[in-house]
Parts: sequence; structure tokens; C-alpha cells
Amino acid sequence: MRVWTQFTDTLGAALVFTGAAICLLGVIGMLRLPDVLSRSHAATKPQTLGLLLVLAGVALRLRSGMDLATLALIGFFQLMTSPVASHLVARSAYRTGQIEHAELLIDDLDEQLTERAPEPEPEPGPGTD
Amino acid sequence: MKRLITLSRRDPELPPFSAELAGRRRRVLDLPLIGWLTLIWVLLWSTLTWANIITGAVVAVFVSLAFPLPRVDLGLRLHPWGIVVLAGSLLYDMYTSGVKVTRQIFTGYPHRPAVIAVQLRCRSDLMMAAIAVSVSNTPGGSVIEVRRATATLFLHVLDADQPAALEAARRSVWRLERLTVRAFGTRDEIERVAGRPPDQGTGDPANPGDRGEEPDRGRDDEGRNGT
Repeated sequence: MRVWTQFTDTLGAALVFTGAAICLLGVIGMLRLPDVLSRSHAATKPQTLGLLLVLAGVALRLRSGMDLATLALIGFFQLMTSPVASHLVARSAYRTGQIEHAELLIDDLDEQLTERAPEPEPEPGPGTD
Repeated sequence: MKRLITLSRRDPELPPFSAELAGRRRRVLDLPLIGWLTLIWVLLWSTLTWANIITGAVVAVFVSLAFPLPRVDLGLRLHPWGIVVLAGSLLYDMYTSGVKVTRQIFTGYPHRPAVIAVQLRCRSDLMMAAIAVSVSNTPGGSVIEVRRATATLFLHVLDADQPAALEAARRSVWRLERLTVRAFGTRDEIERVAGRPPDQGTGDPANPGDRGEEPDRGRDDEGRNGT
């Protein structure tokens, strides 16, 4: 029993360490990548993975039912909210012209936005936006 | 005699799993929402006691009365096996995504990002939101813009040197769409995503015209606003 406790403790510590290291990689990526959209990749994906690993590590050390459920809740909200945040940052960056359009190989959205500008199409369906 | 609370089992006019409170103004409570809020409350306190459950339910009822949501049919169904498959796939994708982004950060060669449009097959708002969240958590791209009228996602792809990479990004979005809808969608939506992706099929009435198959230009030459 004691060996088992020690094993899960060590594994949990290793997971927490790995998760923290991955979060650090995300931060380095934010510093190294050139523009907003690329940085939002680095800001969201390694962060989410790192946080999930940290949560798994903490769960291995806590080992009690309600705490595990709370950790699962934290992970759930992280998965739900971080894409929304990155989407809003990317969207406003795109619309306010913070994008190097010459850097993009293909840009499907730009043509649609500029095409849309002269005559806004009527919104089909019920206006439940 | 008017009841204080009318359950939807007794009144077929109410949406399923809801209760109506008697009063001057019509107030409808969504019971699964209240259950979910109560669960979050109990989890936040981390102790399962009757006091927590009761205060949680009171707070949940208060919150849903104070901030009422629009009455829409979400079209949310839970398929347990589909959720397991989706979760496993998301975890694996998240791992590869982390590795991939890390490699792109450190190799430092000039990558060519691109913004591509991906046409989805399902049209319901909830499914589109779920797909966008799944896509953002996996490699391939982060969502910049969602056009609801045409069910189109606009993705930013980090590494778009070859046309094959763009095709791979599109295919991975469609795969996630299928998995997500199989986890949460209605039967109707599941049947819809079982078909071929809209770019390859020809029978999609919402997108007339062919899409131009030249690999380096993508498929945006057809103005869908022109129709």
C-alpha cells in the first residue's frame, strides 16, 4: 500500500512538472512566433495540454472523490473557454487589420469580408444571434 | 385551480424537462439547466451535503430567473459511446497538437500560415459551436470567424506550405465534425454528416457551382454572396 502511494505521488509530481514545462513552451512560443494569429496557436494549445496534465498530476496526489470532480470541472471549463477567448482575440485582430496579409499564403476570409462590405446580405433564418 | 408549479409532463405545451411557475408573468424553468448549475455549485464547495445541494438549487433557480435564456431547442442529445470516442480522439489530438506546435516554435524556419474556409455539413448552432471548440483544441487550426448563415468555419493554419497540408486540415475538421455530431447531435444531424463533405459532393443546394479544383488557390472564387 505504501509503495503504491509513493508511486502515485511520484507519477503525479512528474505529471505536474511536465504540464508546467509544456505551459512554459507555450509562453516561449508566444515570444517567438511573428504575428497575432500564430501566437494564438501557441497561447491556447500547449496551455490547455499543460493544464490538463497539471490537473491529472494533482488528481493523482489528492485521491479523493469530490476533489477529483472539482478538478474535472476545472478541466471542462478550460476546454470550453480557451477556444472562445482565442477566437475572440483572433477575430478582433483580423477585423481591425492587425494581420500581415502579405504573409498569408491563402486568405479565404479577406475576400468574403471585402465582398460583403458594399451590400450586406440579409440574415436568413430567425434573428436569434 | 392553478397549480403553483406545472411540470412539463402534465402540460404538453411546455418544452420537455421544464417547469412553469404560477404568477402574473410566465416563467419557465429548464430543469436540466438547474441540475447542472446545482452540480457546479456543489463541486465548487467540494463537499456533498444537503445544505450545499439545497442552497445550490436555490441559487440555480434564482440565476435562471434573473438571467433568463432565450427559449430555443438546443438539439442536444447525449450519446455515451460517441462522447467516449470524441474525448479519446480529442486527448490524442491535443497531445499531437502540443508536440506539433512546439516543433514549429523551435524549428524556426519560415512557415507560411494561411486562412482557409471550411464548409460544414450540419447547420444547428449548438453543433457549430461544439465543432468550433473541438477544432480549436486540436492541431490544424484555430477558428477566426464563423459564418452562421452558410455554416462556414474560417481557420488559421500554421503550416500551409503544401496544398496537401490544407487538404489535411479540411479533412481533420470534417472528421471532428463527424465525431462531435455523433457525440451530441440529433439523429437528423448524424445522418447528415454521414454523407460526403460538401466540397467533394455535388448535390449541396446551398453552394451552387463547382469549387475550382486547382490546389493552390483554394475554393473561394465562387462568391456565395452573389446568389
